[in-house]
Amino acid sequence: MQTTHYVALALAVLAGGAPAQAADRHDYPTVDRVEYVLECMQRNAGKQEFLYKCACVIDEIAKQYTYDDFVEASTAARFQSLGGERGGVFRDPPQTRDAAKRYLQVRSDAMKRCDVPR
Amino acid sequence: MLLTRTCTWGVLLGLAALPGLALANPEVIRLSQDAKNWAMQAGNMQNHRYSALKQISTDNVKDLRVAWTFSTGVLRGHEGGPLVIGDMLYIHSPFPNKVFAIALADQQIKWKYEPKQDPTVIPVMCCDTVNRGLAYADGKIFLQQADTNLVALDARTGKELWKVKNGDPKKGETNTNAPHVFKDKVITGISGGEFGVRGYVAAYDIKTGNQVWKAYSTGPDAEMLMDPDKTMTWTDGRMAPVGRDSSLKTWQGDQWKIGGGTTWGWYSYDPKLNLMYYGSGNPSTWNPVQRPGDNKWSMTIWARDVDTGQAKWVYQMTPHDEWDFDGINEMILADGISVKGKPHNVVVHFDRNGFGYTLDRATGELLVAAKYDPKVNWATHVDMKTGRPQVVSKYSTQAQGADVNTKGICPAALGSKDQQPAAYNPANKMFYVPTNHVCMDYEPFKVEYTAGQPFVGATLSMFPAPGSHGGMGNFIVWDAGSGKIVKSKSEKFSVWSGALVTAGGIACYGTLEGYLKCVDANDISKELYKFKTPSGIIGNVNTWEYKGKQYIGVLSGIGGWAGIGLAAGLEKDTDGLGAVGGYKELKNYTELGGVLTVFSLP
Repeated sequence: MQTTHYVALALAVLAGGAPAQAADRHDYPTVDRVEYVLECMQRNAGKQEFLYKCACVIDEIAKQYTYDDFVEASTAARFQSLGGERGGVFRDPPQTRDAAKRYLQVRSDAMKRCDVPR
Repeated sequence: MLLTRTCTWGVLLGLAALPGLALANPEVIRLSQDAKNWAMQAGNMQNHRYSALKQISTDNVKDLRVAWTFSTGVLRGHEGGPLVIGDMLYIHSPFPNKVFAIALADQQIKWKYEPKQDPTVIPVMCCDTVNRGLAYADGKIFLQQADTNLVALDARTGKELWKVKNGDPKKGETNTNAPHVFKDKVITGISGGEFGVRGYVAAYDIKTGNQVWKAYSTGPDAEMLMDPDKTMTWTDGRMAPVGRDSSLKTWQGDQWKIGGGTTWGWYSYDPKLNLMYYGSGNPSTWNPVQRPGDNKWSMTIWARDVDTGQAKWVYQMTPHDEWDFDGINEMILADGISVKGKPHNVVVHFDRNGFGYTLDRATGELLVAAKYDPKVNWATHVDMKTGRPQVVSKYSTQAQGADVNTKGICPAALGSKDQQPAAYNPANKMFYVPTNHVCMDYEPFKVEYTAGQPFVGATLSMFPAPGSHGGMGNFIVWDAGSGKIVKSKSEKFSVWSGALVTAGGIACYGTLEGYLKCVDANDISKELYKFKTPSGIIGNVNTWEYKGKQYIGVLSGIGGWAGIGLAAGLEKDTDGLGAVGGYKELKNYTELGGVLTVFSLP
């Protein structure tokens, strides 16, 4: 129930908030923005204020990356912590490691700017 | 002789139509022949991963949308896929190996089974706490737990009917493989090659769980169920008996006792020949200098009589492994494959070592051994007379020696392909293969064996195949008769998901970014559909029909952590590999558990 609520809210915000800065932003599917906001809100105890703050983070990220590059870099970052050989595939290759590092930096900067602690 | 007896039994039982007798094989074959079901992990006993369903086709696959999703609530890697039988779907999770029976009518959970397992088994699992899925037969769902317990559940109620211990986690023995039902037996293997386990396969009676036979990969002939005079192998261009002590002679002293040769892959079965096929894994340790000899029968394709376990023939792909090219990948059975103009009934195997093998599955004759990734460089070719790969000394970690970093070996240890199973289209006789396009630097070091402790002995570092498209994976179409890549589609990351090919003309697979992709089976460069699931995909794509509608389902979830403050995990961490058992702890938070996403047309 709660999830549905968030989705509706997030959609409303994204739809309403987008046009002003649309030129700065890359075109991400709605699903990805909503997913990011939901995960981010969940990390922050689902508090209402994080709807705005988390939407701010993904919008900032979307300024830095095309969608395909975002998918690749966030995948690289996400799986840095995988155990064993599998994680090695993400940790070892310099370009994957660098992509992950840069993504985490971009995200961390965005989080600072948008006042999102986690 | 045996064949005749089996057939007679089948007929007798069929006529009598007695429920509850050992009809499992005909029952499962019948279920798997009805394309509405997905009754075995690979769809059928030949490991085809093919479906005759064609509602979803090249024309309309672009319209696929999510029909429903189901979260297992468990983090970490989700391999395998659901079974669908009639109006029920059965799905498993990684450790603690939950089982859910879901009614397709309303997606309600009919029953749930959650075994109590000792979590101390987790650190002795080398490569994440995966489980590759369930098996069905005789009204039972079979679950092979991580702690080696093999369990039979009542498919209607989830009630535990029997349970048998298949190994000992204290010695590093664990299970990740799916159980396979052939005839009236459920057959399973063992994992733990990184812990000095001595690999085996074992067959249990589906009624009682009693062990019928157990056959080791290494050691004395009797314990391998090998007949020195009758078990054959490719020798100087023809099949010849393996001879006495064929394994013992290829190990120094007692090393075969901790020699690896584990068996966690995808087995297949030929009912006419009554033979099952599977591969054995790497010899322990990863440091080749420490274990001189061919280390038989690690890295071997096996054909065994399902009733007795007796080995009919063997073929060792990588004698004296120096790279961890585990030989466990799926064995696909295909009929009428033309090799040099002559049709053969064959077993096809895409090995981690980068060679695609085609063997006559009745006799074990080696027909084709060719690279299915052009970048494979550790061997120039397989000598078709001796059957041995011609190792390039520059890439030989043995020749370079311990404590020397051998650079630029292709493929990396996880192979040109790992367990993620390929699909076979009987209509065009082509194989659809998800692959890795990754190379490595490899440095062996000396290790002492301690029971239940990692016995790895190598440090390695991986990178995308140089001088190629820069990505780490390919999805290819393979001709097993000529040993040629027909077409190759590049991927940014390795493809670790099992493929599906259908009569609707599509081939589907998952990616590590989380995409389910469906391509034109006749021209895989044409990507017809792509959808981003919640996490990376290492599960296998399946399809079924319910109430006149075709569905496609795939598990996503590879583990890992989306979280924050990851900088510590970013630095190069060779420990992550060396201590494969030293599992990197997941943080308390992950965004989602594994999810089964089910697609259909609007």
